[in-house]
Amino acid sequence: MIVDPYHATVRAYFKNPEHAGEVRNGAIGYFADQGMRIRLSAEVASGDLKRLRFLAWGCPHVIAACEAFCRQFEGRAASDLEDFETGPIMQDLAVPIEKAGRILVLEDTVRSLGQAIRDLTMTPQE
Amino acid sequence: MTVVPVYLDYAATTPLDARVAARMREVQTTAYFNPASNHAAGRQSAAVVLHAARQLGALLNVEPATLIWTSGATESNNLAILGVAKQRAHRGKHLITMRTEHKAVVDVFRALEKQGFDVTWLPPDREGRVSLATVESALRDDTQLVSIMHINNETGVVQDIEGIGKLCRPRGIIFHVDGAQSVGKVPLDLGSLPIDMMSMTAHKFYGPKGIGALFLADGTPLEPQMFGGGQQRRLRPGTLPVDLIAGFGEAAAAAAQTMDDDLAKLVALKNQLWVGIRDIDGVQLNSPETGGYPGILNVGVADIEGESLLLALEPLCVATGSACNSQSQEPSYVLRALGRTDPEAQSAIRFSLGRQSQQAEIDYAISSYRAAVEKLRALAPGAAV
Repeated sequence: MIVDPYHATVRAYFKNPEHAGEVRNGAIGYFADQGMRIRLSAEVASGDLKRLRFLAWGCPHVIAACEAFCRQFEGRAASDLEDFETGPIMQDLAVPIEKAGRILVLEDTVRSLGQAIRDLTMTPQE
Repeated sequence: MTVVPVYLDYAATTPLDARVAARMREVQTTAYFNPASNHAAGRQSAAVVLHAARQLGALLNVEPATLIWTSGATESNNLAILGVAKQRAHRGKHLITMRTEHKAVVDVFRALEKQGFDVTWLPPDREGRVSLATVESALRDDTQLVSIMHINNETGVVQDIEGIGKLCRPRGIIFHVDGAQSVGKVPLDLGSLPIDMMSMTAHKFYGPKGIGALFLADGTPLEPQMFGGGQQRRLRPGTLPVDLIAGFGEAAAAAAQTMDDDLAKLVALKNQLWVGIRDIDGVQLNSPETGGYPGILNVGVADIEGESLLLALEPLCVATGSACNSQSQEPSYVLRALGRTDPEAQSAIRFSLGRQSQQAEIDYAISSYRAAVEKLRALAPGAAV
């Protein structure tokens, strides 16, 4: 028997990914692995993630995880990205354990975004 | 007005025909007896079974006595392949099948390999067909069995079973055909085709689930795989499910009446579907260009993730890969055997149409598919930053 493999939140985020897209001239994080590709973009103002957007090629859980990440971190301090872990999102979305590796691609993309933001805001040294 | 959900997964299973349901209800209340019982009531049920065998026999042009009732095509495949391989093992252990067979055949041959049998796995061409030259070149002096499916459940490609049978028969090689997707759907004259065994199941053509049959030509050697009673010449013991068998027979009778109309309708609907999506950038036809079964259209589209495509298509009921294996997200081994890459195979969607399919449903499928591809492409990032 096949039960519904998708939590209601996954279905909702997949159907209506409000944060899908790209921030023009924003900081960019990108990572590709396990056949997945994720691109995060952010507009940073006063150290805060004013706007967050994502593009993703992957299964519904990956797309929903990207949407969940954007909803959770938009408006927060950019430095909070360093605290990002996939565990809570996996739990909230009931991601099956065999897909954990795919969701870790999001974690790597978030790290890439954090680095891009630091690179953009770093003061050139003498 | 489109009915939701829209069902285009007839290769997985079909709805019960109203005539079949009526016949089954009648038998359940009036002829529920054990057909092996030696009393009047038992004989009444035995007559029901015989009538159903005659109906199925008429569809296939075979004698009722050549039909062995089973629980479905999977059991029929197991009985046929194991039964011949073991019965003839003393003469030789070489067996032949195709890489694109259904799991119900593939896994049986894999089990036989573990038991010391030598299996040749024939490759298909890019459209999924196996050539007669390929089959002939694989035949050996010690070959005992060739098993090739008639209509492929994923792509709808039709194999030349008559040609293959003509290669086998003069060599004394038993030829088995998995007819799960063809019996009741396309004309079959097993009385004249050089086929020794054919597996079939009722639920693929508007009959009930849980009942199938194996056609066994006279004189075909077969070792039983189940024991426990003398029913069906001891080849497949067990009390016969009279109501399911009656439904199977009625489905066969209905198929004989409507097959020509069904096929004409499917040709038109499949063409409508393909014309509606073939201009999508990167779309790939996995079904054969010509000559395939008109009830199945398998398409892939470049750079689209298959699982997301399937969810984006809801409430359209279609399949990725084989429905029997749809819990697996592995790319279809059938499409990989046809030379498709993993991403190509993973994006494949099988639309399968049936007797109840309507033009409005095909229109809905076309618009859903186009919208889903557009949505997922808009979501996808480029290959790099």
